[in-house]
Amino acid sequence: MDDVIERIARHLRRPVQIDPALDGRVMREITALPTPGGAAALGKAWGWLTRPHQLTLTPLGGLAVAAALAFVVLLSRMDSTSPARSQAESHAFQFVLVAPRATHVELVGDFNDWDATRTPMRRTGREALWTVVVPLMPGRYHYAFFVDGSRWLADPSAPAARDEDYGEPSSVLTVGGGS
Amino acid sequence: MGIGNVGTSDAALVRRVQTGDTGAYADLVARYRDRLGRYALHMLGNREDAEEVLQDAFVRAYRSLARCDDPERFGAWLYGILVNRCRTAGARAARRARRFVHDPAALETAPLAGPDGRADWDDAVRWALARLPSESREAFLLKHVEELEYEDMARLTGAGVSALKMRVKRAREQLQAMLKEAERV
Repeated sequence: MDDVIERIARHLRRPVQIDPALDGRVMREITALPTPGGAAALGKAWGWLTRPHQLTLTPLGGLAVAAALAFVVLLSRMDSTSPARSQAESHAFQFVLVAPRATHVELVGDFNDWDATRTPMRRTGREALWTVVVPLMPGRYHYAFFVDGSRWLADPSAPAARDEDYGEPSSVLTVGGGS
Repeated sequence: MGIGNVGTSDAALVRRVQTGDTGAYADLVARYRDRLGRYALHMLGNREDAEEVLQDAFVRAYRSLARCDDPERFGAWLYGILVNRCRTAGARAARRARRFVHDPAALETAPLAGPDGRADWDDAVRWALARLPSESREAFLLKHVEELEYEDMARLTGAGVSALKMRVKRAREQLQAMLKEAERV
């Protein structure tokens, strides 16, 4: 190859850094979309997946990790497997936290007795998108993100609650019985 | 380096997304963001446009993931979507530009401003790249920057191998001429 062309190509092959916030923008957009493949492709554990519905999307407060975002997504209504539960179907919610500097994150709330060992969030992608899916029965839940074993992050735009037992800020998620 | 060997676990991630694990898509976005972003940036010459197109490509790919017949080649499939989005964005930008051109023929024959003596190599390359016809720029980037085989390029662009070879050849000749000229300034 000609020297000039080789020099141009080498120059253009240098890595380009795209704003990592693009990941969060993409994820926020797709959470409002139906799961690829549709119900027919899922037909097993998530047999009757409904259209995802974003419930909240909020920047975290000033005390939180810089540039972090948190949101909760209703993924699907889950099958009731026993007659006893037929009156109260559970729903799958995906909790998402973007926390680039966190080393580990747990979801804590009424649904797991605020036990930080029970619902660890999984890190996906280099930009530290932390996610976990939790089935929730209809009801009202307080929840928070527990970051690096020391910081509690709540959702400032969701209804706030002060947990009487722990005194830490938390958010409220209300799961309806229908859909 | 080709487009078929990027990430051995692409297929697993795609399948997880298809079964409802939306978070798995973040892995795919993070994996391809910078590399696809590089192509979009060089193709469109503008970071803002490149990021907009890239985001659009990722979202479109997610929407169409059920049609990704071969999850092992997710990268190549995604690349094809991005190439198309860049073409659309480029055409849109060209239409915008034409609104301000009252005499295209005169402008085409007029001497274009080149990089001045203070411009560095990066400016010169971007300047020259932007002057290539979009088809030639596309072919040059895919061949010499993304280092794809002509057969892969043909699949991505829909153009024949011979046409692509000709576009690359012309692009090289034009770039050589422009950059040599720029180095003399």
